[in-house]
Amino acid sequence: MLRRVLGLGAGRVALGVLLTVVLLAIFGPLVAPQDPLATSTDLLAAPSAHHWLGTDYLGRDVLSRLLAGSRLSVLGAVEVVAMALVVGAVPGVLSVYLGRAFEWVTLRLVDTLIALPFLVFAVAVTALLGNGIPQAMFVVGLLVSPLFYRVARAATLAVARSPYVEAAVIAGASVAWIVRKHVWGKVLPPIAVALAQTTGVGFVVVASLTFLGIGVRPPAPTWGGVLAADLGFLSYQPYAPLAPIVLIMATVWACNLLADALRDASGVAGRALVLRRPRFSGGSRVKEA
Amino acid sequence: MVLQLVDVHIRNDATGQEVVRGVSFDLRPGAAVGIVGESGSGKTLTCRSVLGILPELFSVSSGHVAVDGRDVSSLSGKEWTALRGSVIGAVFQDPASYLNPSIKVGAQVAEVVRVKKRVSRRAARDRALELFASVRLRDPELVYHQYPHELSGGMLQRVLIAAAVAADPQVLIADEATTALDVTVQAEILDLLAHLRATTGLALVVVSHDLAVVAQVCDEVIVLRDGETVEQGPTDEILFEPRHEYTKLLIEEHLQYGLERFLTPVDVASEVGELEHV
Amino acid sequence: MSEKVLDVSGLDVHYRRRGGRLHALRSASLSVAAGETVGVIGETGSGKSTLARTVLGLVRPTAGRITIAGQEVTGFSGRQWKALRRQGIVQYVFQDPLRSLDPDLTVASSLVEPLLIQGIRAADARTRALAVLDRVGLDPELLDRLPGELSGGQRQRIVVARALITDPRLVILDEPVSALDSANRVRALEFLRQLRLGGTALVFISHDLGSVAGIADRIAVLYQGEVVEDRPARDVVVNPSHEYSRLLVRSAPTLASAARHRAALNGKAVTTV
Repeated sequence: MLRRVLGLGAGRVALGVLLTVVLLAIFGPLVAPQDPLATSTDLLAAPSAHHWLGTDYLGRDVLSRLLAGSRLSVLGAVEVVAMALVVGAVPGVLSVYLGRAFEWVTLRLVDTLIALPFLVFAVAVTALLGNGIPQAMFVVGLLVSPLFYRVARAATLAVARSPYVEAAVIAGASVAWIVRKHVWGKVLPPIAVALAQTTGVGFVVVASLTFLGIGVRPPAPTWGGVLAADLGFLSYQPYAPLAPIVLIMATVWACNLLADALRDASGVAGRALVLRRPRFSGGSRVKEA
Repeated sequence: MVLQLVDVHIRNDATGQEVVRGVSFDLRPGAAVGIVGESGSGKTLTCRSVLGILPELFSVSSGHVAVDGRDVSSLSGKEWTALRGSVIGAVFQDPASYLNPSIKVGAQVAEVVRVKKRVSRRAARDRALELFASVRLRDPELVYHQYPHELSGGMLQRVLIAAAVAADPQVLIADEATTALDVTVQAEILDLLAHLRATTGLALVVVSHDLAVVAQVCDEVIVLRDGETVEQGPTDEILFEPRHEYTKLLIEEHLQYGLERFLTPVDVASEVGELEHV
Repeated sequence: MSEKVLDVSGLDVHYRRRGGRLHALRSASLSVAAGETVGVIGETGSGKSTLARTVLGLVRPTAGRITIAGQEVTGFSGRQWKALRRQGIVQYVFQDPLRSLDPDLTVASSLVEPLLIQGIRAADARTRALAVLDRVGLDPELLDRLPGELSGGQRQRIVVARALITDPRLVILDEPVSALDSANRVRALEFLRQLRLGGTALVFISHDLGSVAGIADRIAVLYQGEVVEDRPARDVVVNPSHEYSRLLVRSAPTLASAARHRAALNGKAVTTV
C-alpha cells in the first residue's frame, strides 16, 4: 500500500512534508542555530544571516523556537493517533472475533464515550492528571477513538461475512490467519485514511491550545506560542506570523493530502469501505455495514 | 402490429462498437415472441431500446422501432413517458429493486394507476386490488397493506406485473422475469403471463437465457448471440429442427443434462396425460 | 462404492427466532458413497443451505448424527473441526464465484490458501496449484490475475480448482451452474462428470431439478426441512413419489413441456378471445 501511495504525486509530496516535520521534531533541537530560550537585546529583528527568521519581542531566535516547538506538536499528534489505534481501531477489529461478551462491553463503552460532554470531560481529566499538552491530547485521543472503533468494526464486519472468509474457515483457517490474510488489507485503508486526517486534527489542536497558552508554561517554545507572540507585534513585524502559519498549515495540509492519497491507493475492496469524509466530531457515528 | 423492430442495431457510442447487430420481429396483438441469449448477447439492450431506456452512451444506430405503429426515434421524453405503461410495460429480474422499500406495495401500485389513468385515489385503490386479484395474489387486501420486504420474490414479481399492466398496455416485456425465482414459482409466473395473454390479448416479449422457458409461452423464438440473430423462427421449428450450431448446443444441453435425459417420448406422453387431469 | 464419505441421520436444526423456533431441518438423513453424485433439490427456505452448512460445521445441529469419512463429527469442538478441515476431506464451492474470491488476492494466492493453511510449503503449494489449474483446463498465466480480471466462466473454474486442490473425497457445490452461460454450463457439467469418474463424491445443491438431473446418480428432494424423497435420479424424474417432487418435475421448464404448454395455451386462447 505504501508503494502505491508513493506512486501518486500527492502521496509523495504529503509523505515528504510529514517526514520533514518528524525529522525536525527529532533533530530540530540539535540543529537549532541557537538556544530557543536565550534572550538577546536584538528585539524584533528582521530576518538576517544570523537570525534566518528574525527574533521575537524578547530577542529570541524564531527559527530555533519553531524547531524546538515541533517536538511538542509531533508528540501531541502521535499521542492522538496512538490512542485512536489502541483504544479505537484494534478493539474495533477484535470486537468481531473475540466473542459476544467483548463485543457487548466495547460497544457500550464506545456509546458512553460518545455520550460524554466534551468540555466537562476535558476539565475532569485535567483536574485529575494535571494541566499539560500530553493530558489534553489524551482527552482528544479518547474522544476520537469511538470513530476509529466504528470505522474498524464496520470494515471488519463487511469482510467477515463474505464468502471468501467463509471459504478460508472451511479450509481450517485460524482467526489470526483470516485477520492477517483477508481482513487486515481491507480494514487498513479506511483506518489509514481516518488516521491521516486525525493526525492533522492533532496538529491543529496542539497549535490551538498552545496559541491560547493552555497546557504549556512560558517560556517553553511552541508553534502556537510563537504565533501568539508574533500577533502582538504586528505593527512592527507584519510578516512575522507567516512562518508559524505556513508551518502549521503545511503540516495539516500534508495530513489531508496523505488521507486522499491513501484513499486513492486502496485496493478495490478497501476503497468501498473508506468513508467519504470521516471527520473528527464527538457525536459522529459510523453506520455499520 | 403493436410492436415492430426492423433490423435494429445498437451502438456503444464510447467504443463505437455495435453491440446489437440486426434484430427484427413483428408482434401482433396477443402474440408472444421470445428472445433467447446469454448475458452480453444484447437481449436486454434490445428490450431497453423498445422501452426508450437505453443506458447512457448507447443508441440505436440504424434500423427502426415502431410501437403501436409509431416510429419511436422522434419521440420526446414526455411522449416516451406517455407511451410507457399505457402501450408498453415491462418487468425485470430483480423485482425488489423496482419497489420503494418503505411504502406499502398497494399504495405504490395505486399510485401508478392514479397517474396513468387519471382517476381518484379511491378508484385507484379499487383498481389496484382488482389487479392484485388478476395476477393471482391470494389475498389482495392483505398484500395491499404489506411492505416489499414482507413478500416473497414470486409475490413481488406478481405485484410488479400488476403495476406493469395497470394502464392496460398492449405489450408486456418480461426480461429474465422468472430467473431469480424458485422453479415452482417460475412455472406459476409463466402461467400467469400466458393467462394474461389469453384473457386480455396482451402481447408478450419474453426474454430468457433458457430456451425452455421461452418456449413455454412463445410462438416465435429469436436466438441471439453476441449481438447477432443466429436463428429465428416458429418455436417448434427452433426446438425440433434447429439449424444453427448454437441453437443445437442449447437444445443438447437440455437433452444431456436436463430432465429430458430421462423423459422418453412415452414418459412425456404420460406426463401430458397426467397434467390434463390436474 | 459401499464406503460412505458422508452419512447424515436424523438431523434436526432449529434456529431461535423472535416468537419461537424455526425448524430449518427436521430429521433429515442423507448418505453419500465414495464417488457418488447426489443432487439435493429444494427451494428457498427448504433447508438445503442449512444442510450444507451443518455438514461443514458452520451450524450446530440440535439433534442427529453426522459422520464424515467414517469419523463421527457431531460433538466436535472448534479445535477438532479445524483439524478435520485441514485434512481437506470435504470442500465447498459457493454459489457466487466472484464473491467467494478475495478481490485483493491473485488467483494463485486464493488457490494455494487451503494448502498453506495446512502448513504445506509455498513452493510445493504452487506446484499443486499449477497441476489443478491444468486439471480444470485453465491457462497458468491466469495465476497472477485478480478475480476482477477474469470472466465468469474462468472464475467458476478457479473456485472449483480451489476446492479440488486438497484432493477432497467430497465436494459440495451450491448452485454450481446457475451463474453460467449455456456454453460454460455444458463445459462445467462435462468436467464435473469426469471428476466423478476420478472417485470424488459430489453433492449438488440446487433449486432447479432440471439443472442437475442429468448428472446426478441420486436425487434427494428437500421440502420444508424434510427429505421427502431420496431415490435414483431417473425414478425421481420419471415417477416422483411425493406430491412436492411431482410439482417440481412438472414445473421444470423442459423442451417437452414447452410444446405441451403452448398447445394448451392455444386452445385456451381460441376459446376465450
